[in-house]
Amino acid sequence: MRITFAQLASKIAVIVAVACAIPSYAVAESPAPLSERQRVLHVLNRLGFGPRQGDVERVEAMGIERYVQQQLHPEQIDDTACEKSLSHFDTLQMTSGHLLGKFYTDIKGYFQMQMASGNAQEVKLRTGLDLKASAPAAKQPYAAPASPDLEKLSHADAIRCVGELQQAKLIRAALSERQLQEVLVDFWSNHFNVDVKKAPVHALKVADDRYAIRPHVLGRFRDLLGASAHSPAMLAYLDNKENSVPRERSKFEKGAIEFVVGGALGMSARGMVPDREGPNENYGREILELHTLGVDGGYTQKDVQEVARCFTGWTYSPFTGNFDYQANRHDQGEKTLLGHVIRAGGGARDGELVLDLLAAHPSTAKFIGRKLCQRFVSDDPPAELVSRVSKVFLNTDGDLRQVVLAIVTSPEFFSTQTYRTKIKSPFEFAVSAVRATGATFDEPRIPIFARLHAVQEGAGTMGYGADGLSGQRRQSLNWHVYTMGEPLFAHTSPTGYPEDSSKWVSPGALIDRLNFAMALANHQLTDVSLEPSTLTGGIDADQPRALFDRMADSLLHGALGAASRKTLERSALAPSGESRTVDVPQLTALILGSPEFQRR
Amino acid sequence: MNFPRRLFLRRGAIAMAAMGTLGTCPDFLYRAALAADERSGGARPKTLVCVFQRGAADGLSMVVPYGDPLYYRHRSELAIARPARSGGNAETALDLDGYFGLHPAMSALLPLYKRGTLAAIHACGSPNPSRSHFDMQDYMESAAPGNKSIQSGWLNRLLMNCPEDRTTLRATNGHPSPFRAISMTPTVPRMLQGEADALAIRDLATFGMHGGNANGAAAGATSGFEGMYDGAVGDVLRGTGRESFDAMSMLKNADPAKYRPVATADYPADSFGRALTQVAQLIKADVGLRVACVEVEGWDTHVNQGGASGQLAGRLHDFARGLAAFCTDLGDRLADVLLLTMSEFGRAARQNGNRGTDHGHGTCFLALGGPVRGGRVLGDWPTLAPEKLFEERDLAVTTDFRDVFGEACFRHFGAGDDALAKIFPGYRVDAARFRGICGA
Repeated sequence: MRITFAQLASKIAVIVAVACAIPSYAVAESPAPLSERQRVLHVLNRLGFGPRQGDVERVEAMGIERYVQQQLHPEQIDDTACEKSLSHFDTLQMTSGHLLGKFYTDIKGYFQMQMASGNAQEVKLRTGLDLKASAPAAKQPYAAPASPDLEKLSHADAIRCVGELQQAKLIRAALSERQLQEVLVDFWSNHFNVDVKKAPVHALKVADDRYAIRPHVLGRFRDLLGASAHSPAMLAYLDNKENSVPRERSKFEKGAIEFVVGGALGMSARGMVPDREGPNENYGREILELHTLGVDGGYTQKDVQEVARCFTGWTYSPFTGNFDYQANRHDQGEKTLLGHVIRAGGGARDGELVLDLLAAHPSTAKFIGRKLCQRFVSDDPPAELVSRVSKVFLNTDGDLRQVVLAIVTSPEFFSTQTYRTKIKSPFEFAVSAVRATGATFDEPRIPIFARLHAVQEGAGTMGYGADGLSGQRRQSLNWHVYTMGEPLFAHTSPTGYPEDSSKWVSPGALIDRLNFAMALANHQLTDVSLEPSTLTGGIDADQPRALFDRMADSLLHGALGAASRKTLERSALAPSGESRTVDVPQLTALILGSPEFQRR
Repeated sequence: MNFPRRLFLRRGAIAMAAMGTLGTCPDFLYRAALAADERSGGARPKTLVCVFQRGAADGLSMVVPYGDPLYYRHRSELAIARPARSGGNAETALDLDGYFGLHPAMSALLPLYKRGTLAAIHACGSPNPSRSHFDMQDYMESAAPGNKSIQSGWLNRLLMNCPEDRTTLRATNGHPSPFRAISMTPTVPRMLQGEADALAIRDLATFGMHGGNANGAAAGATSGFEGMYDGAVGDVLRGTGRESFDAMSMLKNADPAKYRPVATADYPADSFGRALTQVAQLIKADVGLRVACVEVEGWDTHVNQGGASGQLAGRLHDFARGLAAFCTDLGDRLADVLLLTMSEFGRAARQNGNRGTDHGHGTCFLALGGPVRGGRVLGDWPTLAPEKLFEERDLAVTTDFRDVFGEACFRHFGAGDDALAKIFPGYRVDAARFRGICGA
């Protein structure tokens, strides 16, 4: 398809409009409002992971209001195509109990391997477990741990599920028609961060994603908070499964635990189970600081301890992998939290009362409201907007659909000060590039290799063999996201990745983004392919000017700045006399790596 | 101020790209200048390496106060046994001074302590009472506890306010090297953020443009990217691009990878070991490195912390092994290097209900390197007596971390009073409070 004069003219009009819309330094008072097309682009960039080919026209035709309403009701959007691409990830469908069982098998295999490699002393140092009795003496003290044999691990489902969940996250973000839902899943999964590097969180995160996060992202905050509090992944990550009233374990109880643990590890667990257990305030602190009130939300160290007491006995069953409340480990005494008395003898209700109290607290409304505004509007959102959004949160009993609606229909959302001011996170950058170029995920031809690949990436994310993966000539989309600084589901500390996008601006780190742009454009990803004609629209390489305009427009939709345009033209449109063809992959890479494409 | 060099670099790079030999010219000059300087016997620039133990490391396990009887009462299941009479073994503390002992898993550091290259600063930390990882890391990195309005990191302010060594500037034609400040992390950490240029490089070995369908294509794309980021006037991304490309072309020539670790340097095979290996390479490659940041995680030991062996012991083993290897690797270059370890806070004096430790207050910092007057455990020991504990539960802080940082700025980088006032806003760094980490 060639570009007609009329189309070109309309394009120029758009470019002029964009240029005019850039707030000038002198007259920042009343910048021109966003054009309709800019508003459409803005919605596609903020409520989703950027436009695919044709998306802008589609939303223009249906109108922004209808598009937003549709996105707010994902259950009404047909998404079979995306769901179909996930069908070969069988770990996604496994239950927590099933996955925990797989984890026990993995770890048993690991210890056996260490023993066989003569690394008993190493294992003793790191785990305190004494394997010496059954292992040959180590030749060297602290020999490096044997790296897992990946062939044998192709059935290591617990590790594999990390790689598969990461791939599924990328595929959903890129292909799902329910874009807002995927943005919100990313947001809330990061808000309620758990780290797959801490076993067995890697296995349990699958269930956390499916049951704790996904069903509630447009529901009530209280339900989401509650689902997270009951989620085995969270109970393991922030140690609440260990949180107990100070107590002695009976001989029988110790014996039973030793039997279970010993069975899981494939060795005697005698002496591994302590006689006593007691409170652990890790979850108590983070639920206040990071999940609800915020660090300045007005709580004390005493409140942290009281919350911890309320959650004593909340754990999960090592057999079923499901939430379990153990009454004998619960602190039945009276507690006082943020001035509220929680009466003695409340049992499992204590924790529910804490969740009620926190979900309805004004500090929570403010903290959550501001954080959502950071995601959707700007790194430092206007205080007035935050205050309005917080009110919506409080008045609607934390109805997240209403809260998101209030944000994305606000004048601040559509202001020129907001337009294209957020820097994409590595995940957003990678996914938006896949969407913009119309790249497709390859169907695995040989299932065993696909499984092995997922194991490799899962293990790499957990710290085994990451160098090997990074050193390979070709990498997966997931591994590029890892390399760019955002390993998925693997932020170590409970804060999660920053919503302040300026934190992603780092000299040096940019090179990894450019390398990804080059790899994608040059067909050098292991699992994603790109069809150049999607971008060229059938324009021949010997029509450099038309081709250039077509590609710049289809990838950047009028956002290309004058300086970048000049450089790109110099690079793509060779001076006359020389060959006049355009290097399409090169130009694609340059556009994806441009400063303009780093913004949303 | 840096404009002429950048213009030169840019033009150089584009011109070179046209000839297919990208970016050799300016670096060649750097190298020549540096080499000339070395020959003339000029003093080498001083380097400060900051190792952040993220997650709140248990200072009471790193440097064990075995002389404090309450230690054994608070830590009944986690305590490290008193040093054995007949030399060290893997189960007991390694005696340092008759009161404190090193964790047995950290035995790699004992020779450095005995040699006077390692000092510990105990009961060190922040006056801020928070036990939030996030806030306390933030405060330690801004070096302005309690003040959330300070945007820049203390290391960046050090670079902004500290006179460059004349050597460094001479070597680089009066302009700071792109490798002046580097962090071996995916993004620049808070402590290094600010006006002065700083680089984040996850891995030197893979830093650079690769891919493309041919070598020429990669070079052409590089100059294209370079042009676009240079043209992004008034955009925060502009600096990002400029610094990245400067570093990339310089690195290509300096080729630090050729400085292999010496055979006796036994780095652990993890990301911490790799980061230290590469910092050592940059120091040896004379690229003008002044400040380097390294991170090491896994200190948040709420459950089953372990004692002489176990979870924390494993971390400490790799930690100590990495630091010792770094010193071995640098050899005589260690003379100009000061390495500080730090953590946002320590852990509660008493173990919790799960044979772990919850968030605490004071912890233990380490100082390593040629300038260190080591072989000593510095600071006032507040003891673990209940009435001495911070908020009745944690090791108190008797050394403000800013006095440790301040001493490094003053003694190692020659920062004067004016500079110190800017580096530590709202805090008067007083030499009288210095613990004597570095030789005067």
